[in-house]
Amino acid sequence: MELLDRYLQAVKKHLPWQRQDDIIAELRANLESQLEDKEAELGRPLNSGEVEAWLKQMGPPMQVAARYQPQQYLIGPAVFPTYWFVLRTAFLWALIIYSIVSAVLIVVKTPSGMAVLEAVLRVPGVLLTTAAWVTLVFAVIEFAATHYPAKCPAIAGFSADWSPGTLPPLEKEPAPGKKRRSYAHAVAEVVFGFLFLAWLLLIPQHPALLLGPGVAYLHVSRFQLAPVWVQFFWWVVALNLLQLGWRCLDLWRGSWQQPRPIQHIAIKAFGLIPLVVLLNVRDHAWVTLKHPALDQVSHGGTLDSINHSIYVSLLFLCAFAVLQLVWEIGRRSLEGYRKRAAAMR
Amino acid sequence: MTLAENLFENLRLELRRGCLTLAVLAQLRQEHYGYTLRKALAERGLVIDESTLYPLLRRLEVQGLLTSEWREEDKRNKRFYRLSSDGEQMLGQLLQEWHAINASINSIL
Repeated sequence: MELLDRYLQAVKKHLPWQRQDDIIAELRANLESQLEDKEAELGRPLNSGEVEAWLKQMGPPMQVAARYQPQQYLIGPAVFPTYWFVLRTAFLWALIIYSIVSAVLIVVKTPSGMAVLEAVLRVPGVLLTTAAWVTLVFAVIEFAATHYPAKCPAIAGFSADWSPGTLPPLEKEPAPGKKRRSYAHAVAEVVFGFLFLAWLLLIPQHPALLLGPGVAYLHVSRFQLAPVWVQFFWWVVALNLLQLGWRCLDLWRGSWQQPRPIQHIAIKAFGLIPLVVLLNVRDHAWVTLKHPALDQVSHGGTLDSINHSIYVSLLFLCAFAVLQLVWEIGRRSLEGYRKRAAAMR
Repeated sequence: MTLAENLFENLRLELRRGCLTLAVLAQLRQEHYGYTLRKALAERGLVIDESTLYPLLRRLEVQGLLTSEWREEDKRNKRFYRLSSDGEQMLGQLLQEWHAINASINSIL
C-alpha cells in the first residue's frame, strides 16, 4: 500500500529519532489491522480515493507525530505567572534605568533633539533585549524544575512559602468625586523622580541646568556661595533618594494606591534637615566674597544685606516647614484616633 | 465553527481527557494491542481517535502504568499492552475519585 507507506514515512520524519522505528512499526501494525477490517467489511480492497479519505481522517503527519512527543513548554503553567510578573517589572525598571542613563548621556554629551529622538527609537530594542533575557532565565528555571524536581524543590514548588501576611494592604476607596491613584500615575512619579534626581546630580558639573544664562554672572561676580551649600545639596539629594526608594518599594509591594501616613511624615521631617543645616552656618555666611581683602570695603555692605535676606527667608521657610509637619502629625493622629474609636464601637 | 461551538468543543475535550485515561486503564485489565483496544472501547460507546489513543498508550507505559510486549499474531508483529501492578493500584485510586465525582455531580443535578 504505497499511500500508507508514504504516510508513515512522513510521520516518521517528525518523530524523536530514538523511538521512531518502534513507533512506526506499532502504528503500521495498527493501521494495517484497521485496513484489513475495513476491506473485510466491504468485501473488496479500498480504492485509492477511499485510502486517501481514511488517512486524511487520521490527521496530518506532523500533528500525529507531535502527539508522541512529551508536552513541552518553554515556560510551563506553574512558572508562567511568576514569569509574567517579573517580565512586567523588568520592563518597568528597564524603562526607568534606560530613561535615566539616556537623559544623563544626552545632557553630558550631545544635548540635541536628534539625540532625544535616537534615544526614543532605541526603546523597543531595549525592551526586546530585556524580554529575551528574562525569558531565557525563566526557560532555564523551567528546565531545571522539570528535569530535576528533586534537586530544585524550591523552584518546583515556587509559591510554597507564600503567606497571606505578605499581601498588599486593602485598596482605599477614593473619596466621592476623586479618582483612584492609578498605577500609571505611580510609575510616572518614579520615572520623573529619577529624571529629576539625574538633573539634580548634574547641576554641580553643569550649573547652567539650574541658572540658565545667569551662570555667566557667577564667573564675573565678586560673590560666591559658601561651602555649606554643598552640604545642603547632598541633603537634598538624600531626601530625593529616600522619597524615590519609598515609591519604588510601594510599587514593588503593590501598595502604591495607598502610601502609608508615616511616609508623608517622615519625608516632611527629613525635609527639615537641609534647612537646619543651612540655618546652622557660622556667622550667617551663606554668601562670601571671592576676594575679601580687596572687596570688603566696597561690597561688604551688599554682602551683609544679601546674607540677612537669606537668613530671614530661611527662618520663614523653616517655620513654615515645622508648622506643616506639626499639622500633618496632628491630622494623621486624629484620623488614627477616629479609626480606632470607630473600631471599638 | 461558531464561538459557542468552539467553546463547547474545548470544554468537551477537557472533560473527556481524564475519562479517556481511566477508560484505557480499565480496558487494559485485559491484554490488547492498539487497534483492538480502540475497537473494544468504541463497542462500549467510547470512540477515540487513533492519533490520541496510540500516543496515550506510550505515555502510560512510560509512566509505569502499562507493560507491553511485541508478539506475532495473524502473521503480523503487534505490540500488546496490559495494566501493570502500579497501573492496577492507580486504576483503583482513580475509580474511587471517579465514583466520588460522579456521586457529587448526580446529587448536584
